[in-house]
Amino acid sequence: MSHTADSTVDREFLIAEQKKYFTFMNLAFLMTALTGIELVIIFLPFPGSILIFGSLIFLSLIKFIGVIFWFMHLIYDGKLLTLIFLFGMVLAAGTSAALLLIFSDDHVDKSLPFYEEGLIAHEEAAGSGH
Amino acid sequence: MSHAQDSSLPADHIPTGLDSKKLIMWLFLASDCMFFGTLITTHLVYRKIYENIGVDPIQIFDIELTTASSFILLMSSLFMALAVSAIHKGNVASFRWNLIGVIIFGLLFLAGQVYEFHHFVTHSGLTLSSGTFGSTFYLMTGTHGVHVAMGIVWLISWLIYSFTARFNAHQHAVDVETAGLYWHFVDIIWIVIFTAVYLIEYV
Repeated sequence: MSHTADSTVDREFLIAEQKKYFTFMNLAFLMTALTGIELVIIFLPFPGSILIFGSLIFLSLIKFIGVIFWFMHLIYDGKLLTLIFLFGMVLAAGTSAALLLIFSDDHVDKSLPFYEEGLIAHEEAAGSGH
Repeated sequence: MSHAQDSSLPADHIPTGLDSKKLIMWLFLASDCMFFGTLITTHLVYRKIYENIGVDPIQIFDIELTTASSFILLMSSLFMALAVSAIHKGNVASFRWNLIGVIIFGLLFLAGQVYEFHHFVTHSGLTLSSGTFGSTFYLMTGTHGVHVAMGIVWLISWLIYSFTARFNAHQHAVDVETAGLYWHFVDIIWIVIFTAVYLIEYV
């Protein structure tokens, strides 16, 4: 490659990196603002609201996507890396969803002796001064 | 694939065209997702089943401190992204300063976690063995804290190595990027823990 071609590539690379700098800064400010919003909305007077619950999930999802695609360069790298990570994510999310459904209130017999085990253990620990 | 084609590939690349170090790190992170997914789900399931856990999480949590910890970790991620960008540009001085920023913010996060744990144990009697809530909470957040600590050690080693004669910005850019991937991963895990474990208690 000639010296001129090398310089052009370097210049394009530096311009791209400079753009990334501003993207990273904007993303960091956005995520800071979202974290602040999360703190505010939990104190809104709507206890048990599905709207608050959904908003928290949505805001954390935006932050999650912001970090994996921009800070972790998935948007700039090959699609295979995205697929590999999403595969792990889908397995983890699927396992979590399955477990939460299996152990939903309708499927747990709270009359079983071991149900109170957690509380008893805590009371014993508190009683012994720990 | 012929021998000629094989030899034309860069040393650290595989036929997918991706850097092998980055590929391995992404595979590890995908598996770590499942690991943390299990820890977080275990906590949520037990939290759901044992309604009366002996402590009121809202009373013992210091949500302002935890939000500050989240902010600290997000800012450390920004510094890490800037450090990776700096080393790709060959700007070693900027790389070092940004890396120092990541390490300081990481240590601040760990200090916050140690303070939180100490407060829980001394003021609320919540220990690792004081019931399912304590067990799953400390196991999950403690495992995350260990990941952060390991990340800090890794980044400190890069900072020290950057002062040696063997360090070459262009040659080690991908290695630093791989360390950066790990660091960002502990940040996204905290994003999930912050919402699923702390904020949800207030809804």
